[in-house]
Amino acid sequence: MFKAIVSASTLRDALDSVSVLVEECKIRLNEDELAIRAVDPANVGMVDLSLEAAAFESYEADGGVIGVNLSRLEDIAGMANSGDLIQLELNEETRKLHIQIEGLSYTLALIDPDSIRQEPDIPDLDLPAEIVLEGNQMDRGIKAADMVSDHIRLRVDEEAEAFYIEAEGDTDDVDLKLTREDLIDFTSGPADSLFSLDYLKDMNKAIPSDAEVTIELGAEFPVKLHYEFGEGMGHVTYMLAPRIQSD
Amino acid sequence: MRLDDYIEMEADEAADRRRLVEEKSYAILDELEEFQHRFDEVVQDDAIVGSVSPSIFVGRSNYPNVSTGILSPVGHEDDAARFETSAAWYDEGVSIDDVFQRRTSLLNSNQPTSVELGRDTNVHDAWNGFVGTQREVAISDRPVSVEIGLDGAPELDFDVSRTDVATPTGPRARARSATLGENPHVPKAVKKTLEDDDWQAQGAMNYLYRRGFDVYDINSILSAGALGQAETRRLVPTRWSITAVDDTVGQYLRGTIRDAPSVDTVQVWRNEYLGNAFWVVLAPGRWEFELVEMKAPGSIWNPDGEKLWLSSDCEGFEGRTSYVDETAGAYYASRLAVLEHLSDIGRQAKALVLRHVSDDYWGPVGVWQIREAIRHAFDDAHGEAETFGDAVREVTTQLPVSLSDLRRKSTMVSGLQANLTDFI
Repeated sequence: MFKAIVSASTLRDALDSVSVLVEECKIRLNEDELAIRAVDPANVGMVDLSLEAAAFESYEADGGVIGVNLSRLEDIAGMANSGDLIQLELNEETRKLHIQIEGLSYTLALIDPDSIRQEPDIPDLDLPAEIVLEGNQMDRGIKAADMVSDHIRLRVDEEAEAFYIEAEGDTDDVDLKLTREDLIDFTSGPADSLFSLDYLKDMNKAIPSDAEVTIELGAEFPVKLHYEFGEGMGHVTYMLAPRIQSD
Repeated sequence: MRLDDYIEMEADEAADRRRLVEEKSYAILDELEEFQHRFDEVVQDDAIVGSVSPSIFVGRSNYPNVSTGILSPVGHEDDAARFETSAAWYDEGVSIDDVFQRRTSLLNSNQPTSVELGRDTNVHDAWNGFVGTQREVAISDRPVSVEIGLDGAPELDFDVSRTDVATPTGPRARARSATLGENPHVPKAVKKTLEDDDWQAQGAMNYLYRRGFDVYDINSILSAGALGQAETRRLVPTRWSITAVDDTVGQYLRGTIRDAPSVDTVQVWRNEYLGNAFWVVLAPGRWEFELVEMKAPGSIWNPDGEKLWLSSDCEGFEGRTSYVDETAGAYYASRLAVLEHLSDIGRQAKALVLRHVSDDYWGPVGVWQIREAIRHAFDDAHGEAETFGDAVREVTTQLPVSLSDLRRKSTMVSGLQANLTDFI
């Protein structure tokens, strides 16, 4: 059983954060929250999302699992204005999701959840550095890095008490330095890892520019990015495997 | 035959090569004169040329209104097959001047045509006339005897400029007509892809590949518009179709190793051919591929440069979503060769291909040279290294580039993509 009413913008934010990594996903309709966990086919990027029942206008669920085609669902959600409410209801018998937006109704065929890639185990990482910054600060660093390279280095200089976003291109370099004063919060620690910009750019796309982003970082370890949406009742954690330097 | 058998080399060879490019001559003018003699001997008064044609050529300029032609080695009918680009050229050990000699010995009798042949007659249905004959030549597995009615004498023209360096082609003549002098021999599998007009081109190409046809054969079949779904069949410019086939078959092969175990050691394979040296570094892990090209000053691709010219393109586990930026057809040809090897051994790997183009490479012969050199790199013994970094460091000692410059240019040298399961 699943029946819920949610604002279009909250639903879209949730879907966007997952669709940058996968085309299909399982949605867990738990009693107290809606949850999605997915990893891209290359096993490089992962998303772990939860949207509390309180983020919905109304929410009733009993722990079922559905499989959806994300771009299809995003297209439908895109039919709503951001202030509109979207009504979702699962028909258990037909295994279809009924979606209603301001008089528009859409019946979405679901995908057998067993045919979707298994949800990943989350690596249990204890990362030494934690950087909290605004989404637009990170966006600025990623945009600049993208001009010169296809990979990006995130590192902490413990002595300088600063977080660096760096990129080395064929001929040009980019370096964004953010000191303790520039950051919302900063836990210094040994951290230096290289990441594919393709992935990071996609993840960054889903992060609202006014969101507070927490970066957990280590030395040649996956990075974790956390942010919230839906007035703090939606939680996203991205995890991205590093590119390992060859020397 | 050596190049200096028929041209006099200047003392400053490098400067001379640059001049040759400049003048678009490729030092084959003598060869072309020879062609003229041969041509005059065989051409009849009514300008009907009887020859044996091994292949076709579809131009790409002015697309979709292209020039499409039948290639015939006028005066060399006895060994016409030798004039068709194929994997055999490597085995034969042809040199750059051999390639130029063969290419320029081919008369390209052509007609201007729309790739779709106008709205009413789809390529699919064009069995008669010039394009029909051309297609018979393309789908036949051996040279076909043809009679071509020419409209005037051949022009000795070069389809080469400094901004668009292409393999030189032979004389071109406008054709009035072309008819078959025999029933061409068409393999069964090719008939099947030809007749099934509800079959997507990619699927048909891969089918032919699995049935043992090499990319060279598939390329001319695709080029002639002889496979694919009826409404989408059209003539495909030769150069585009080479890349399309390399890419399509490459994607198919990549699929075959998607869930395969990884190679378990770091391996370095090497080969050298026609002034090009190749190193292939295979490392354990999930599929990832990069081609880095280093073009020496004085080589055909960097005739005026004083510095080494570097270019690279790469893809991750899921492949690319866009055409490559810097390495063009070389990327798809080299990737195909590496994937063939991996698919053969049933393994996946992280594969870095380094190509050094020396100044001995004075004229472009086409991407077949890259494909075959890398295919054959896997014939001989290979070296092993402890780590990918060690392998690259070792190879770099033989390259005209520093490790730090290589790291700036190469995504894989700067870091190999790990995956999340490595950290569980």
